[in-house]
Amino acid sequence: MRRAVSARIGPLLAALATVPAVAAAGQDHGVVLGAVRDSVGAPIVGAEVRELRSARTTYTDAAGRYRLTAVRAGAIRLRASRIGYRGPVERTASLAAGDSVQLNFVLAPLALQLTQVTVVDKGPSRIVADAVTSVAVIDEEAIASRAVVRVDEAIDRAPGVQLLNGQINIRGSTGYAQGVNSRVLLLVDGAPANQGDRGGISWDLVPIDDIERVEIVKGAGSAQYGSAAMGGVVHLVTREIPVGWHGHVRATGSGFGDPGHEEWRFRDSPGWRGGLDVSSGYGSAVVRGRLTGGGYHSDGYREQDARDFWHVAGRVDWDASESGRLQVGGSWAVDDYEVPLAWCNAGECDTRGQEYLPFHIADSDRGATTRSQKGYASAAYTARGVRTDWLARASWVRTEFTDHRPTADDHSLADRYGLELRAVSRPGGSRTVTVGVEGALSDVESDIFATHRQGEYAAFGESQQQAGPVRLTLGARIDFLAVDGASLTAVVSPRAGAVTQSRWGIWRASVGRGFRAATLAERFVSTDALGIRIEPNPGLTYETAWSFEIGNTLAIGRDALLDAALFWTEASDLIEPALYFDSAGAHIQFRNVSRARLAGLDAALTAAPFTPRLKGTVAYMLLYARQLAHDTVPEQPLAFRPRHLLTLSADYGAGPATVGADFRYSSRVEHIELEQLVALGAIDGRRVAASVLDLRAAWRRGPWTVRALLANALNYAYNLVPETLAPMRTGTLSLTWAY
Amino acid sequence: MPRSGLAALAAIAVLACDGGLQPVARCPSGICGTVTIRGTEPESTHAVFIIAYRTFPQTCDDIPDFVPFPPPSIALGDTVASYTLPLPNGQYEWIVAAWKKLGPFTLTPADTAVLREAGFYRDPPGSSTPGTVTVSGTGVDSVDFVVDFDSLHPITDYVTCAGR
Repeated sequence: MRRAVSARIGPLLAALATVPAVAAAGQDHGVVLGAVRDSVGAPIVGAEVRELRSARTTYTDAAGRYRLTAVRAGAIRLRASRIGYRGPVERTASLAAGDSVQLNFVLAPLALQLTQVTVVDKGPSRIVADAVTSVAVIDEEAIASRAVVRVDEAIDRAPGVQLLNGQINIRGSTGYAQGVNSRVLLLVDGAPANQGDRGGISWDLVPIDDIERVEIVKGAGSAQYGSAAMGGVVHLVTREIPVGWHGHVRATGSGFGDPGHEEWRFRDSPGWRGGLDVSSGYGSAVVRGRLTGGGYHSDGYREQDARDFWHVAGRVDWDASESGRLQVGGSWAVDDYEVPLAWCNAGECDTRGQEYLPFHIADSDRGATTRSQKGYASAAYTARGVRTDWLARASWVRTEFTDHRPTADDHSLADRYGLELRAVSRPGGSRTVTVGVEGALSDVESDIFATHRQGEYAAFGESQQQAGPVRLTLGARIDFLAVDGASLTAVVSPRAGAVTQSRWGIWRASVGRGFRAATLAERFVSTDALGIRIEPNPGLTYETAWSFEIGNTLAIGRDALLDAALFWTEASDLIEPALYFDSAGAHIQFRNVSRARLAGLDAALTAAPFTPRLKGTVAYMLLYARQLAHDTVPEQPLAFRPRHLLTLSADYGAGPATVGADFRYSSRVEHIELEQLVALGAIDGRRVAASVLDLRAAWRRGPWTVRALLANALNYAYNLVPETLAPMRTGTLSLTWAY
Repeated sequence: MPRSGLAALAAIAVLACDGGLQPVARCPSGICGTVTIRGTEPESTHAVFIIAYRTFPQTCDDIPDFVPFPPPSIALGDTVASYTLPLPNGQYEWIVAAWKKLGPFTLTPADTAVLREAGFYRDPPGSSTPGTVTVSGTGVDSVDFVVDFDSLHPITDYVTCAGR
């Protein structure tokens, strides 16, 4: 079947590759010109101006002027940006064939804005606008430039962010616990979307082509968003639907590199991945809709790693009145994949005289597959008033998986229903008050987690006040938690923050309390892993943390921007897996075992010192993550937290072509979960630092865009979790046609 | 190229030069393999050692002429145990598992009373013929054999101990 899919996709890719590029000039085209100036009218040199439909880019000259020729007629959208200025700023216009239109931009010098934040003219999401901690935003261009198929691959290089086998860490928030928890909350257009049973994140829930930007809020967010936001928030913002017909087709093909060492080879021919995604929509001034569908097949980069994936997603916007809008969205995805549970160690397969074979799997794992289905639906109605805006939202997330293992099959079905009512009031002056209530109900039926229900009900309020040069934020949220109808447990999460501007940049300071309710998986998991019994712990309670941050954003001249933050988190009752022994043997159980401290520096410098065409970013995070001494356990490093995380990025644009590179260094983790299992020989604790270089390029002509990505170009073999090889060199070519 | 660009390339080169995960030969030298354990382990067991003889011992006086010294013992908790014998190059006529009873052992011929042959490498497998292994440079892997606690043999079954 997989070969059959590959056979169908291969000719399609070839056919698409031979389609002649359209003539950009001539019929149905016009000229866009204008100037970019600052708020006092001075020209801004080297500002980037991008026509978003075709992604064509130019730069302003010494007089701040720009000119884009051969722009396709119709509705056009331009974006202007420059380091050191607030923005980017977008403007739209209608361009007639053979005509020209003038679009001028005003970029204000950097004001209350953090370094990685992209605040567009149409308004940032509330998540960004209300943030008093660091925020990183990955916009659509940054996502597209990665030529990836899942959003986690696109955000993995964000400063201070690291994905461990799909589990996100923001400043070391989560570590790695086999996907049975997450200390980061996922929002899709504002609606919570973490899994109902494990609390984890399904990164393939939303098609990547539908995502306009990803907003990452670092630091405790429980005062606004409750459980799971203890370590931060990832907000997926889907694309707005423009008026008229629009859409795009993207074909993607990848080839996986061979192992760097002959001893590790596991197949005679290269592995491939090929996929096709189609999106189309139509919008009027009142109603707009979009439908996206697609899928891919992947052979995988290691043994027993093949995957067949397809998805469909849609969104409808209805502007019911001048002040009211209903937005309905949803998706469904099916993922059938083979499971390379762990690499092969000596005695587990034919190891060819090696101690371990990272591309191979143990004989006992052969035949393991999983069928995973997931989807979400949400409906939100917003009503804008003179003094008060209202939001009512309902959401539903379903995750279902069936594990087919050589020994037994496991099935799990989880639904998470959410309701929210929120009011944002501007009572006068520069004050904004937000109040609301929120409820969520998680239902689980599972062979592994049994049948359980968890309810979370909350009320929250927050006030933002401009007091002279300082913006003050003060808020709190109270959550009530109940499992299986038991009595409610209350948790209060306050936060306070201040942002001010001085000649030494923009300063921000915040303190907040976060919490995370134990997931139903952590409480009730009952299964076997690594030959060890994993026991439930129904008495598990929530974990809490106080987080502090002080940060500064400083414009250095006109060409560089520095953002640095010192952060400090003190966590209590942290839920960790614990190994213990009794007369029946070894057991693992999730327990509220420890206090922990995560502190460090998160800094990023973005600059274009030589030419505006070349932009570079250096980001570095120093993380001190320690589990504090408790009972008889001495102080030790927190598991799966690298001390150093370095990211270097550079992009160069020349006409229709851009090239770029990302380099990520992650130091070797000092400690892994259940280190005792390594000592017992149950798992191989072998691990190294990660040094990964990605190279990318893009070329645009008219509605066509070709992107190339060489991920892990150095073919660096490494693992971030035990016995799980990270992806090796992968070359990807994608071709997109947009209309 | 600007200095900052060179610095970035230098940083990448330095950070990436450790090479990441590398192949590790399970048996870089000597002899390696697995021992499959059968039978009921005697309560008087002290340990089971894996030893090698360059020439098959003929008399009790030859018994101490094994290598390596000290000999490695195998883990007895599992049904299959891995072993590695770090040996110099050469030919080895007898790779044997020696069961040792609890008690003192001074490496004299008199100590045959506390030693038993528990199993040895056979070539072809299943035969009664000891397999000969030649080590030349790289290690020799997959020298596998069986230890049967229900069939322990006195060392005098193999060697002549005149006057004892």
